[in-house]
Amino acid sequence: MTTPQSASIAARLRAATLDALKATGIAFGLFVVMVGLRTDIGPTGALLLRTRWPDVAALCAAVFILRLVLALSVRPQQAAVTPARWAAGLSRAGLLFGPALLALALILPFIPGIGRYELDLGILVLTYVMLGWGLNIVVGLAGLLDLGYVAFYAVGAYSYALLAQYFGLSFWICLPLAGILAAFWGVLLGFPVLRLRGDYLAIVTLAFGEIIRIVLLNWVSLTGGPNGISGIPRPTFFGLPFSMGGGPGTFAGFFGLEPNPSHRVIFLYYLILALALLTNWVAMRIRRQPIGRAWEALREDEVACRALGINITNTKLTAFALGAMFAGFAGAFFATRQAFISPESFTFIESAIILAIVVLGGLGSQIGIAVAAIVMIGGFELFRDLDEYRMLVFGGAMVLIMVLRPRGLVGSRSPSVLLGARRE
Amino acid sequence: MSAALQPAAGTEILEVKSLSMRFGGLLAVDGVDFQVQRGSITALIGPNGAGKTTVFNCITGFYRPTAGQIRLRRADGSVAALQTLKDHRIARAGVARTFQNIRLFAGMTVLENLLIAQHIKLQKATGFGIGAMLGLSGYRAAEAEAIDRAAEWLRAIGLLDRADDIAGGLPYGAQRRLEIARAMCTMPALLCLDEPAAGLNPRESDDLAKLLVSIRDGTATASPPTSVLLIEHDMGIVMRISDHVVVLDHGRKIAEGPPDQVRNDRHVIAAYLGEDEEG
Repeated sequence: MTTPQSASIAARLRAATLDALKATGIAFGLFVVMVGLRTDIGPTGALLLRTRWPDVAALCAAVFILRLVLALSVRPQQAAVTPARWAAGLSRAGLLFGPALLALALILPFIPGIGRYELDLGILVLTYVMLGWGLNIVVGLAGLLDLGYVAFYAVGAYSYALLAQYFGLSFWICLPLAGILAAFWGVLLGFPVLRLRGDYLAIVTLAFGEIIRIVLLNWVSLTGGPNGISGIPRPTFFGLPFSMGGGPGTFAGFFGLEPNPSHRVIFLYYLILALALLTNWVAMRIRRQPIGRAWEALREDEVACRALGINITNTKLTAFALGAMFAGFAGAFFATRQAFISPESFTFIESAIILAIVVLGGLGSQIGIAVAAIVMIGGFELFRDLDEYRMLVFGGAMVLIMVLRPRGLVGSRSPSVLLGARRE
Repeated sequence: MSAALQPAAGTEILEVKSLSMRFGGLLAVDGVDFQVQRGSITALIGPNGAGKTTVFNCITGFYRPTAGQIRLRRADGSVAALQTLKDHRIARAGVARTFQNIRLFAGMTVLENLLIAQHIKLQKATGFGIGAMLGLSGYRAAEAEAIDRAAEWLRAIGLLDRADDIAGGLPYGAQRRLEIARAMCTMPALLCLDEPAAGLNPRESDDLAKLLVSIRDGTATASPPTSVLLIEHDMGIVMRISDHVVVLDHGRKIAEGPPDQVRNDRHVIAAYLGEDEEG
């Protein structure tokens, strides 16, 4: 009895050691360049190359030990049991995850140690969360692959910038106008592409995104062309400007606070949080409505929709219009935050990032998209130190997610209506 | 079962008159005339390639006929000229259909499938989406009513306990029945079925036959009796439940009448049963 058992243990130990050595080799290859070599600015301003070999050795040792423990502890038969238990735990945790994330977002500006940089990053992430939720209406619910979503973001941003520049309208008047104008362009794009599906639709929307950008770039007399529009008015707190003067007509003066530049950043943070939550609320509500169900039905089977009397034209156009409207809101916010916009901010890569957020998060899943936006945008900033390697890291991360979870982080769809209590 | 349904002027629900459909050089349907009587089950049969599905697609608006007229006479006496309507308008005029290859919304639940079928009615209750968005009572009442109707049909097809399951996960026979229930949830005047018994086992075919008869008689649910037009290859079902049979071959009508008469028709035996092993 003992001989085969000890032989199998020896075999497992050998396999685990080999596996750990392989992992260590990969880790070494990565860490030599990412950790081992570091450039610092010396006292004279020259760049100094600093080596950190002990750190590399420590990291590689950690990888080896962890990998070895992992390989030894996971038994083949256990692998079949754990996912079920994990899944049950995950779904329970998932119920609390959304509210926890929301609570964190609400109190973020007041957490000690959260500075200007972190808040700016939070604003950026929330902008993408909002864009992801907006695009989700078009791609996730209605199943219309839109590669030119950034065009509506640009329409929103330029709407506010131009209306403020030429007519002196305030942000709060321009915000709904930017949404309406973007929705109008959404319908305008929607009409010619009604008959297209899948790849063909993707190509036309891609072209549409480029057309908008190139028009903005070349219509110099209106948009300033590549120079963009600068001096876009900053948002006011319902009429009270955030100025450093601290007079009675300013935000700080009105509320009797010490003038502080962080007031505006905190205000912008809550503004984009409110806009993102509005997007979420509308999308969640509309999914439980006839029009939302019609979008999902359209994604599932267009022919069956027609046979049931659903007007395909209107259904598609409302999806385009509503998705575009939220991009327009986000665009107006972007313009007022940056105070400067140029066509460079609205390139195809932006569309691709937003689409990647939606796909990685899981088509149709609100919480998945929020997580994906945090990971994509926040992670991208976090790994800024990796320089050119961060693209590599992100490509790898995206491939990994798609391999492990082909339907996105949250791939399951919750029904919009239930007949009874869900049976276990 | 056809005693009370002898063709009489003015009792037809659907009238197809010299219908022709040309695809390029191919005349798929050539001057076909027939009628569907109110409260009957009419079967459209014929060998493969006879033009049955083409006729069907013309009636349900998926093709626009080259020539001819298709008239739907509704219960209130109004007449709709189906050949002029777009497909989703035809569904609204009161013609519901199923498909030869099942076309459910596979990723959505059974109940959702039946609610989408009631889209037109529900959408009207939403008040341009604003009322429903805010959760006003008018929409809630409409939705509750729609769910009740869906539940009624689920009971009729024996799928009530699977209402919250994904439609694509149902067994094949259940998917067929669900597609019929979905079509019936649009509250049509005429139900058009494209090979509803394809791929069913004998017991399921039997259940299907009973379901179709109960739909015709209005005993399946509280909904009124509904006329049925079906294409079917399963001659057992056709002969058992049809009140009227129309036989097509090479795009022309070669015979029509009660099942017994059609079964013994010389042309039908020659064109269909004689030449084709399926008979």
